Amino acid sequence: MFTPEGMTCVLIAATKSQMEPVIKEIYRQHLFHIEEFVEKDKEEYEGYRIGTPLPQANETSRELLRLRGITNAFMIQEDEEGPGEKQKHAQLSKQIERELPILEKEVEDLLSRRSRLDTQIKEYEQRIDGLKPFSGISVDLELLRGFQTFSVFSGYVSRTPSLDIPHEIVTSETKKERFIVLVVSNQHRAIAEQALQNTQFRAVPVPDETGPATSRIGYYEGQVLSVKGELEEINRRLDEIKNQHRGFFLACNELLTADVEMAEAPLRFATTGESFIVEGWVPTERLETFRQGIHYATGGKVYVYELDPAEVEEVAPVEYRNVSFAKPTEVLMDVYSRPRYTELDPTLLVSIIFPIFFGIILGDVGYGAILLVLSFGLRRFLKGEEGQRLLKILRNASISSIVFGVLFSEFFGFSLPWAPILFSRHLNIGAHTTGHGPDVTNLMMMAVWIGIIQITLGRVLGMINHARQDHGSHRIKAVMANLGWIMVLWGILAMLWAAFPMPLMPDFTVLQPLVMGLNLSSILGIVLILLGVIFIARDSALEIVELPTILSHVLSYARLVGVGFSSVAIAMVVNFIAIGMIIEPQLESLTAFGVIIIIMGALVFVMGHLGNTVLGLLGGGLQSLRLQYVEFFTKFYKGGGKKYIPFGMKKRFMED
Amino acid sequence: MADAATAVVATEMTVEMIKASQMGMRAIAAAIAVGSTGIATAIAEMVIGSAAVGATAENKDVFGLVLLLTVIPETIVIFGLVVSLLLLF
Repeated sequence: MFTPEGMTCVLIAATKSQMEPVIKEIYRQHLFHIEEFVEKDKEEYEGYRIGTPLPQANETSRELLRLRGITNAFMIQEDEEGPGEKQKHAQLSKQIERELPILEKEVEDLLSRRSRLDTQIKEYEQRIDGLKPFSGISVDLELLRGFQTFSVFSGYVSRTPSLDIPHEIVTSETKKERFIVLVVSNQHRAIAEQALQNTQFRAVPVPDETGPATSRIGYYEGQVLSVKGELEEINRRLDEIKNQHRGFFLACNELLTADVEMAEAPLRFATTGESFIVEGWVPTERLETFRQGIHYATGGKVYVYELDPAEVEEVAPVEYRNVSFAKPTEVLMDVYSRPRYTELDPTLLVSIIFPIFFGIILGDVGYGAILLVLSFGLRRFLKGEEGQRLLKILRNASISSIVFGVLFSEFFGFSLPWAPILFSRHLNIGAHTTGHGPDVTNLMMMAVWIGIIQITLGRVLGMINHARQDHGSHRIKAVMANLGWIMVLWGILAMLWAAFPMPLMPDFTVLQPLVMGLNLSSILGIVLILLGVIFIARDSALEIVELPTILSHVLSYARLVGVGFSSVAIAMVVNFIAIGMIIEPQLESLTAFGVIIIIMGALVFVMGHLGNTVLGLLGGGLQSLRLQYVEFFTKFYKGGGKKYIPFGMKKRFMED
Repeated sequence: MADAATAVVATEMTVEMIKASQMGMRAIAAAIAVGSTGIATAIAEMVIGSAAVGATAENKDVFGLVLLLTVIPETIVIFGLVVSLLLLF
């Protein structure tokens, strides 16, 4: 529960002739985490080289690439639901050889035709764009170009130019713009240019067409329509292929991906001229099955050797082993860092403590209920394992929020019909405030106690971790240092108890002084602190400068109360503004206008509480997560474990 | 007591007014405690946060670590909050 899945390091050695059956078998079992071989210049690595891919690798990769081209064009996602029944492996391979090339050919033809037609449409549309300015001019376009003695100007102007030279001008006007075609003889060209410049002339080239512009536009529009019809036909055919063969494509993709992964596996092996070695990890529980599988697949021609766990367990990959309640919290652990193989796995602790902290911060039945509904409602929309796990964490957190809401007697900032069972968090906000106001001191003390307990727990776990991981004289020093931290913490507490009476804490000020005005509690405190500091300094003297963190980390738990208060305050302010200030005054003498104001007040109420729910989710989630990451984990947890990724895949669309 | 009475007479304030103004002073003190620590936290988190985003863009694996680094200065504002709550209640 607090340790990851047990792993055994296994070496497989055989002649190269056994390489393919071995790869196939470990891929099928989906148990073996391959430790990649890296070439080094050391003596023990001499003679070993990284392997070369199996001979079929090239062709299979090419095949897969072409298939992916098609599935991309069809926008088929790999994680899509496939057909209900799985296909047989052997049958599928035959089908791939027989049908896939034909299908690929057809799809590629269709796709290239489609892109050709697309460019054609673009070209026609460009031509139409070029012709459009001339649509108001009924002159044959051929008559506007190719003159030797005349110059033709065509373009947009702000007003028709006045010219005192012989010329011919055709104008067409739309609402926004004025388009002209002006013809002058070449000798007057300079004068015409000058005149046009004064009218903000923007030249438009005469299109290379024959006949009046409108008829040409009509012709091209007809062309576009017919090409579009053709396109539709192609798309329909592509859709047909997609719907008919989607399952086949998915299965092919799976099979080819598997083949490529297998063919490229030797790149992770160490090989010599005639033999190969591969090192990796198998869960200890499944080791026997793994061995037998390899034995049967190769007829016993392979040497499987287990390495001594003590020598290699530092680098073992980590697979979580948690009860199902704690499984979703593994996401939060991975965000920080996966535990090392030799380390305690605190997932279960976090899965219990995180919702409790969340509940203390956002202890409100109303907000808890909204988040609970949200965590169930979003299940359908949030795809992927990680999202589902986060929703389960949210579900636990919101249930805890409801429980604490009952204890704090809070419902959207209003109080429930009973007095707070735990401590009151009701602030005196609004016109008719009743009650005694919040019980800040007791709440703060509660938070401090939570801090003291969690930090002590963290240090105890630190002792266990160091005892498990360290060796030699450092081990005992490190364990004692962690004990020292606990002693300093409780020593400070004992001295405080002796000096001040505090609520929710034992009161030792009543004890009789023994020596120099110090009573038993203060003496015990001083001894604990001194011993603790010595233990810490023996491990690392530099750690002494970290001593003030004892105080800051414990006080940091005050955020459980502080952030909670801010959420309560916002809720109560929203209630006061919406109900006390907007709705209630209108209810006293109801008018038609008053109804609108009341609706606005209701809107303020809903928006305010929605905003506060979001804030509460962020505040509650991040703050309680931070308490785990910063205050709790820094006491014992290092992380940095490798994820266990067994070689192989979960087959979804085919079976052996 | 006599001094207080003369003070009340001299400034023409009633005991209720003095109590109210004391409450007001406490509220201002609490506001300064939360406000100034909030600004301090914001400045600290601004620097760390921008560096953290940069680091995450380079390597996504450090997200957990930089989230932790980014929230460390929050302790400052929590202290301010504790002080102000103790002042007010």
